[in-house]
Amino acid sequence: MAPTNPLANWERLATSFYRKVPVYYSVFDEDVELENYIVAGAPYGGAIALYRDESKPLRFRDAQTSRSNIDIYSRSGKLINRLNWEYGAIRGLGWSDQEELLVITDDGTVRRYFGLYGDFTSFSLGNGAEEYGVRACRFWNSGFVALLSNNQLIAVSNYNEPRPRLLAQCPEGEVASWSLIPPAYTLSRSVEVLLAVDKTIYLVDPTEAEDKVLQNGPFKHASVSPTGRFIALITAEGKVWVVSSDFQSKYSEYDPESRVTPRAVEWCGDDAVVIAWEDEVHLIGPNGAAARYYYDGTVHVLPEFDGVGLITNDAYEFLHKVSDVTESIFRLGSTSPASVLLDSINLLDKKSPKADDNIQRIKPALPEAVDSCVKAAGMEFDAYWQKRLLKAASFGKSVLDLYNSDEFVEMTEKLRVLQAVRDFQIGLALSYEQYMRLTPEKLIERLVNRREYLLAIRISEYLQLPADKIYVHWASQKVKVSTVDDEAVCKLIVQRLDGKPGISFEVIAQAAYDEGRSHLATQLLNHEPRAGKQVPLLLNMEEDEIALDKAIQSGDTDLVNYVLLQLKAKLPLASFFRMINTRPMASALVETTARAEDTELLKDLFYQDDRPLDGSNVLLSEALKETDMPRKQEKLQLASRLLSDSKEPTVVLHQKLLNESSQLLKVQEALDKDLTERSEFLGLSLNETIYRLVRSGYGKRAQKIQSEFKMPEKTYWWLRLRALVAKRDWGELEELGKPRNSPIGWEPFYNEILGAGNTKLASIFIPKCTNLSAEERIEMWVKCGMIVKAGEEALKAKAVNTLEALQSKASGPSAIEIGRMINQLRPKK
Amino acid sequence: MAPFPESDAEYFKDKARRGLLDLLEGVRGKKNLVINQGLAGPVGLFVKFSQLQEHGVDRVFLLENGNVDSSQRNVVFLAYAEKIRQVRAVAEQIQQLQRNSSIEHEFSIFWVPRRTLVSNNILESAGIIGDVNVAELPLYFFPLEQDVLSLELEDSFADLYLHKDPECIFHAAKALMDLQQRHGYFPRIVGKGDHARRLADLLLRMRKELDAEESSGLVGLSYRNLLPSAGIESLIVVDRYVDFATPLLTQLTYEGLIDELVGIKHNQADVDTSVVGPAATPQAQESSKASQQFKQGQKRKIQLDASDQLFNQLRDANFAIVGDILNKVARRLETDYESRHTAKTTSELREFVNKLPMYQLEHQSLRVHTNLAEEIMRNTRSDIFRKVLEVQQNNAAGADPTYQHSLIEELIARDVPLKAVLRLLCLESCMSGGLRSRDLENFKRQVVQAYGHQHLLTFSALEKMELLQPRSSTPAMLIPGTGAQAGSRTNYSYLRKNLHLVVEDVSEKDPNDVAYVYSGFAPLSIRLVQCVLQKSYVLSLMRGGPTVQANTASPGWLGFEDVVKSARGSTFSIVQKGDDKAVRARQTLSGSNAAKAVVVFFLGGITFTEIAALRFIAGQEAPRRKIVICTTGLINGDRMMDAAVAKGTFAATDS
Repeated sequence: MAPTNPLANWERLATSFYRKVPVYYSVFDEDVELENYIVAGAPYGGAIALYRDESKPLRFRDAQTSRSNIDIYSRSGKLINRLNWEYGAIRGLGWSDQEELLVITDDGTVRRYFGLYGDFTSFSLGNGAEEYGVRACRFWNSGFVALLSNNQLIAVSNYNEPRPRLLAQCPEGEVASWSLIPPAYTLSRSVEVLLAVDKTIYLVDPTEAEDKVLQNGPFKHASVSPTGRFIALITAEGKVWVVSSDFQSKYSEYDPESRVTPRAVEWCGDDAVVIAWEDEVHLIGPNGAAARYYYDGTVHVLPEFDGVGLITNDAYEFLHKVSDVTESIFRLGSTSPASVLLDSINLLDKKSPKADDNIQRIKPALPEAVDSCVKAAGMEFDAYWQKRLLKAASFGKSVLDLYNSDEFVEMTEKLRVLQAVRDFQIGLALSYEQYMRLTPEKLIERLVNRREYLLAIRISEYLQLPADKIYVHWASQKVKVSTVDDEAVCKLIVQRLDGKPGISFEVIAQAAYDEGRSHLATQLLNHEPRAGKQVPLLLNMEEDEIALDKAIQSGDTDLVNYVLLQLKAKLPLASFFRMINTRPMASALVETTARAEDTELLKDLFYQDDRPLDGSNVLLSEALKETDMPRKQEKLQLASRLLSDSKEPTVVLHQKLLNESSQLLKVQEALDKDLTERSEFLGLSLNETIYRLVRSGYGKRAQKIQSEFKMPEKTYWWLRLRALVAKRDWGELEELGKPRNSPIGWEPFYNEILGAGNTKLASIFIPKCTNLSAEERIEMWVKCGMIVKAGEEALKAKAVNTLEALQSKASGPSAIEIGRMINQLRPKK
Repeated sequence: MAPFPESDAEYFKDKARRGLLDLLEGVRGKKNLVINQGLAGPVGLFVKFSQLQEHGVDRVFLLENGNVDSSQRNVVFLAYAEKIRQVRAVAEQIQQLQRNSSIEHEFSIFWVPRRTLVSNNILESAGIIGDVNVAELPLYFFPLEQDVLSLELEDSFADLYLHKDPECIFHAAKALMDLQQRHGYFPRIVGKGDHARRLADLLLRMRKELDAEESSGLVGLSYRNLLPSAGIESLIVVDRYVDFATPLLTQLTYEGLIDELVGIKHNQADVDTSVVGPAATPQAQESSKASQQFKQGQKRKIQLDASDQLFNQLRDANFAIVGDILNKVARRLETDYESRHTAKTTSELREFVNKLPMYQLEHQSLRVHTNLAEEIMRNTRSDIFRKVLEVQQNNAAGADPTYQHSLIEELIARDVPLKAVLRLLCLESCMSGGLRSRDLENFKRQVVQAYGHQHLLTFSALEKMELLQPRSSTPAMLIPGTGAQAGSRTNYSYLRKNLHLVVEDVSEKDPNDVAYVYSGFAPLSIRLVQCVLQKSYVLSLMRGGPTVQANTASPGWLGFEDVVKSARGSTFSIVQKGDDKAVRARQTLSGSNAAKAVVVFFLGGITFTEIAALRFIAGQEAPRRKIVICTTGLINGDRMMDAAVAKGTFAATDS
């Protein structure tokens, strides 16, 4: 086949060129009457959905055609799948970036078809959609807006967790046309809607509807450019206006000289607008320059971000702006270095020496020329010109001493991939720019959706991308369609996927389970390396115990808690307890949760587990929280009774102390009644109670309680000492100091009283501290300021040095006294 | 080239800040922020309130107070999704606002550190999952210092040892995965304790799962093909329960004592203004606070971190020498300040004036720390402090604990704080393998009578945590795992001898052993780390001879297996291998002379003294190694007791 002229189908529009590249021929059979269909194309040259337009008259044929379907075709016209449609009137048909088909019906139900083969999820728009009915929908790459018949707008901006949100209230009136600005291009970071009502246009966002105050309406079409910077409008007179998206400036006006309102207004890149009637397409550039195309049959416009696809029964064409590099190479009379380089290839083929002359001529600009050729190769759809340009680049770079060939190599790889998927069998009409934006991973996803596993695997191997998802998808399909028995399928899958990294068996198992093959699902799950992933499916499959075990294995407490939550809701309490009590982590988590919110469950658990002490402790905590005294006592009694069977010494003690506590409460109640108006004693500890009694001068009562509760003497003495010191009751303290011995010795008396500042009383106790050394006692006297006494002590101990030290501290009579003592000791020496 | 671990602190700080602010940015307009109490402090470590304001935060509420109002349309919640209680609190408050408020609120929840299934479930059953925007904020490590990364999980100790809830192990594993993703896999994981083992197992499992996920393209390219790290030598995991005794002792470093007496939370201490005086007014950023805090009895927040040079000098020193250092600094400051008189030329004078703000700052910090030190001194000189310390030191030294009992009884009768008493009892139990049951019963009765019968619960909790036990009981059978016989309890009396825990002649001024942090007792936890890092030193201690040079290169526990067996829990040393060829290739590329980092992870909490001791080791190893300290949170004896102490009283709570 002769190479096509690279300039074929170029159209000049003002200063730049546009070209219409035919990609596929004979797309649809004759009997697909495109004029009667609504057509929606997935972005990035993806699948197209056809649905019969119900407003068009229907030519009766047979029952088959009269049933409504949504047909999914590739761009080359290959029927991928046919969805039977019996859910009511379709008001919106669109695609997401992930090539998911969205179908919105009259009553506000949204169906999201993923994977092209009829799997779907659905949700409802709510917000009055059911009541008023959906009129129309507009889509962007990750969401859509629905217009209700009462002019309400509902936006959905995320399909994974759809959360339909009402936009601001819109004005009344007939909506002539409308359009949206995707969130990525708005200031508010939320989707905004242009609504043409009456003569003007409103800009509606979630908070308000702003009137843009225009006069030339009603506008029959409004379309926003791919970057959201410009808006194309069709005025009431049928003129095309291009304005900035803030409606502040008008850039161009064009009169198509047609009274019929165009069927579609789309942007071709960011610089040109395409308006289309049934069989006529106008391409309008800046300043009203235009090119016109005429067709024999109906033509549909499928917008892309870098151009538009034009589809007719005969052909699928891609209309886009000619890139600068392409233009500089192919433009007639071009003298750019790249153009010269390409020319030298021809000369080289003819073995003409001029090839070298050319190279020498452009030598300084050769690197750029090579770059340009590489880039231009990417822009071409025709393999001949791709090769030609790459050959030129290769020739050019062979002349260069130093050139980084990475881009050249990458381009060859990219072109190979592009050529493979553009094949009419696959039908992905991807332009280079689109491929760059789509990314290879997503491209492989699309191939997988089309069940082109072999090609997908080849490409991922070629590009060194992970292929596990492809295998998983394949295996899931295998599970769905194969009819052989479970063992064989499992074996086949495991064999085939053996040694492939990162295979998610959970997904395959889920597919098997969805098919109702739960045995197969369990078998497959055993091959899943990630424990956490298995759990939700196992729960679904009612494999509760395994699910719990796997969750525990994963170490993820959240997962365990989740399983426990489900099981608790599902199982009878007894079997729930049985299930957890052999698993320490599970029961610990149940305990933790229950402690905070469900003490009854806790009690049951401890009862079943035969842990009386824990059970009793729960009751004790409850008693603490109880404000009402009789109820408090009641809980304490219950807590004590739980322990009555046990013989273990610690438990016995525990019970005894519980009873003691209830006894103490009784005593305190009585004290409160007798001694004070307010509740003063209730809730104190035993020690505090006695301390307070002594301090308030109720020594007798304190004594009585001490004996009643068998408080150790030592403790009792300490309490009395501290309380009396606090009370500054020196008389009573002296009284207390009368006996020869005290269980706590006399040093504490000295310390505490000294601490309270009564040196005189403190000093009384010094001689009683017979267990201490003389030095210590001397120190004590000194602290009381009684140097002479200290001296006497030293004298007794015959410590001359100490006495001398003391003398230096003393003054006046006491110094003399000390001196006397020193002398007393000296003579003996 | 992989970034150096030094910058970990900055890296995590930056990452956390960017994460939070980006999420806040995502909520349009002004908003009220409702934050869980346990997060409020840690968040303050990496972001200032003014920064929050710049991102549209109007007011901040605490989740626990439940008082968020409807002054803003946007309400943002920030809470731990792992804590069911907090999730419920969030759900309740949203419902409440929806009911009571006249305006239609826009709710956002940022779950820390991840969105959980349970949180979804709770929001769903509350019927609000459709009304809220849910996002994740993966906060794991909060950098406290350049060398200290903490998860700041307040309840981790109670969760782990009392409730047996292993959530924080998972949390820790995730955090360490973060670290590994930054530096490559830890070439070796060494550890002690059953929980530590679990953590290591989780790390291995997560790595395997990540490998599985990596190739399935679920995660970004950055995680691919991780190799054993070139910059990190190993990870050492120490389970707190291996050494419960150390934190029960009173910390004797400066920072430790501040923590014991005042309490340090998230690098801040609330000190009474009567001690340190009101906040200095000239500091612009604190002026607003200062005006409120002039009154007596008010608390003043003191920032305690490395930004305060003086504090940095003091923090890890034994308190005995803090006075000296303060004096020295005061004198230096004085002479520096006096240098203005000697300044002759104008340029000298200008130099002095330029330094003036620095002097003032230093001066201020000197005043604060002098006051603090005096306050601490007042405490340490008290009779009770000395008696408590006496009991502790005797226990640590291995003296017969029964001789201490009358002293403890006296302390009870004198109504010293309950936690101090419990610490002593627990210390004895840990050090000598439980109390004689007669003694234990006796103490139980006395404590309950002195502090209230609600503390029956406290004792149950302590017993469950195996902090306070009767001597005869054998919980060994209850603990699963290897070495149940030998490793069910840490045998301090054996280890004291063999690891030379008691160092009599340690110099506080010029420390030669980590024992300086407790004035003569080397924390077991730290000795264990030394068994891995400083084998020759520990061997020389054991044999009493000069430093032996052999064995230094042997990895893991090698050479100490028998000794380590006497500490509680399983012992392990795992090598994480990577693609050999790649490793060798990198070795030849980068050479191996760069200092390697050792990550030490304390599961269940670390004390300031232990941090000081690790820094001491790091100082000794300086040219060859660095130590990065990671932990679930900071702990001391009082906080351990807090986990157990019953909160309620029998008082009729009528109001």
